[in-house]
Amino acid sequence: MDTVFGVQYEGGVILAADQSNARSILLYQTNLDKVKELTSHSAMGVSGPNCDMVNFCEFVAKNIKLYELSNDIKLSTHAQANFARGELATALRKGPFQVNTLLGGFDNKVGASLYYLDYMAALQKVNYGSQGYASNFCLSIMDKEYRDDLNEADAVKIVEQCIHELHTRFLISQKNFIIKVVDKDGVRLYSQGADPADS
Amino acid sequence: MSILEYNGAAMIAMAGKDCVGIAADRRLGVQLQTVATDFNKVFAMGPKSYVGLAGLATDVQTLKNILEFRKNLYELKEEREMSPATLSHLLSTLLYEKRFGPYFVEPIVAGLNEKNKPFLSAMDLIGAPVQADDFVVSGTCTGNLYGMCESLYRPDLEPEELFETIAQALLSSVDRDAISGWGGVVHIITKDGVTTKELKGRQD
Amino acid sequence: MAFFGPESAIGSDILDIGSRKALTKRQRGIGVDLGVPGQFDVPNVPDPALYCRSNFASACGNADAGQEVKFAKGTTTLAFKFNGGIIVSVDSRSTMGYYIASGTVKKVIEINPFLLGTMAGGAADCSFWERNLGMECRLYELRNGRRITVAAASKLLANVMSAYRGYGLSMGTMITGWDETGPQLYYVDNDGTRLKGKYFSVGSGSMYAYGVLDNHWREDLSVEEAIDLGKRAIYHATHRDAASGGINNLYHVTADGWKYIHGIDVNDMHYEFAEEKKNAMSS
Repeated sequence: MDTVFGVQYEGGVILAADQSNARSILLYQTNLDKVKELTSHSAMGVSGPNCDMVNFCEFVAKNIKLYELSNDIKLSTHAQANFARGELATALRKGPFQVNTLLGGFDNKVGASLYYLDYMAALQKVNYGSQGYASNFCLSIMDKEYRDDLNEADAVKIVEQCIHELHTRFLISQKNFIIKVVDKDGVRLYSQGADPADS
Repeated sequence: MSILEYNGAAMIAMAGKDCVGIAADRRLGVQLQTVATDFNKVFAMGPKSYVGLAGLATDVQTLKNILEFRKNLYELKEEREMSPATLSHLLSTLLYEKRFGPYFVEPIVAGLNEKNKPFLSAMDLIGAPVQADDFVVSGTCTGNLYGMCESLYRPDLEPEELFETIAQALLSSVDRDAISGWGGVVHIITKDGVTTKELKGRQD
Repeated sequence: MAFFGPESAIGSDILDIGSRKALTKRQRGIGVDLGVPGQFDVPNVPDPALYCRSNFASACGNADAGQEVKFAKGTTTLAFKFNGGIIVSVDSRSTMGYYIASGTVKKVIEINPFLLGTMAGGAADCSFWERNLGMECRLYELRNGRRITVAAASKLLANVMSAYRGYGLSMGTMITGWDETGPQLYYVDNDGTRLKGKYFSVGSGSMYAYGVLDNHWREDLSVEEAIDLGKRAIYHATHRDAASGGINNLYHVTADGWKYIHGIDVNDMHYEFAEEKKNAMSS
């Protein structure tokens, strides 16, 4: 039901997610923040049950922090993605986390990168991606609009086109979207439909 | 729907004259949706041995990590390279360890042994090994792959001919399979080294 | 044509398809006129529809996945109206399970010089019922001395679909053409749904095609732009949807009837569009 988008561009990566939480036919909230910050320079857009999203994100974020503190080494986005994959793969055969994610980050060495990670723990580096039912509508838009020389505004524009498409075609109403940018200055809120703090 | 067909794959390993080739497609899909067209499913496990993992993408990656780890341990302990035959046995054992909750992967192994002679093997998802002298295939279109390999294979192909044969067999096979393709990669292993080539495949 | 009662007026036979099953069944003689509902042999059980559903999986969706005999299906088709007429654009792949049964299927059915139908869903169901529709449309012409309207033609098909509701038919089609009321576009499916609209896309890849259409379709597209949009939408769908692919067949409908524009391999388009992107970047 949830929607997550990610578009990488020169110097950064855009992560966006819808802000709804629904159960059965009932819509509980429309001001959630489903783009969770993992470190100062990485974030994860998550689609899945709220419980799994919170547990998985916090688990990954805190363990990355623990690693940084105990080894005094920062993990690259690549390393973070592979750590998350490993945990998700282990969980798959116990009690799986039902989370489909896009992990974006910025490293000084390699620049921005974006990883696709589904609940089965298949990891793939991508330039742009989408999770959830939305991917059916939006991957073609991204295929068409994506270019290697995008800047931040262009990348946001693609995401906005995707959101517009969902508003016109998608049966499930997703009123609000939160858009975040990860670049050399860290994770920053770009825009939101409703304030997560306002509850 | 079989879980082995969740992500889609096609791969071939074929023997030539003092050389072997291994090839796979590049698609990562979620059933009918193509997610990426640069997914790796063939991995180098030494200078002269490769393993191809077809099946559930998560288990492809998990198994690759475990196999690499165990192979590295072996090489540290033994201070020598692991032969493809040993690699095949190790893989078979790893798979059977999970007999009652298997990795959903059907691997193929290709390499040159100590005497630089071809070694090929394939196994099912719980590690029943099959060795072959000519070729082995795995993935979601094995019927197509067997058909192509049966008709194109000739014994004792030189590396260049072997590349052509494998590439043609792979490309033609995936063109009749909905969930594999979108390009391919071929590794030709000879005693002097490995040549890797990307194949431009149909993008539909 | 099967017998129709003495009280019938001309044309009543096709205007009441679906409501006279019992009558036509009784009067069935030698030779079967399959076009008329009730002429098919059905299982001799109290509820034949239920029997069909539970013993012979529907060609809709993935109900036949576990079945040895799989139906041919998997598609992206689209059609849209614009100021310059109508564009009908389709792929050409037919899959049975994950096996590609054919890569060169003609999914646009030329019903007559002014009417086109598209095929999505069960290949057999679509081709049979649209061919049958062609016959009915010709009969209408002969009886009434004028061409059938698109609205009426699509209604005939929708009536057949509602007569066989629940029997597991699988068909998602767009009936389009030019009649005395101008360019017309209807969507008809196996549920009996019939919709009139400005643009539709049907099939497993339709969502991808809608993604492109919704962002770029305008009423005032030029013919050239419209053709480009039609082929791009199909290309993007074939790239992402494994069950769509092959060749893009594209038709343009105007007041003079339909015209076949092109049949381009979508793989060639991939490299053409990649080149375009590269050029746009360097400029």
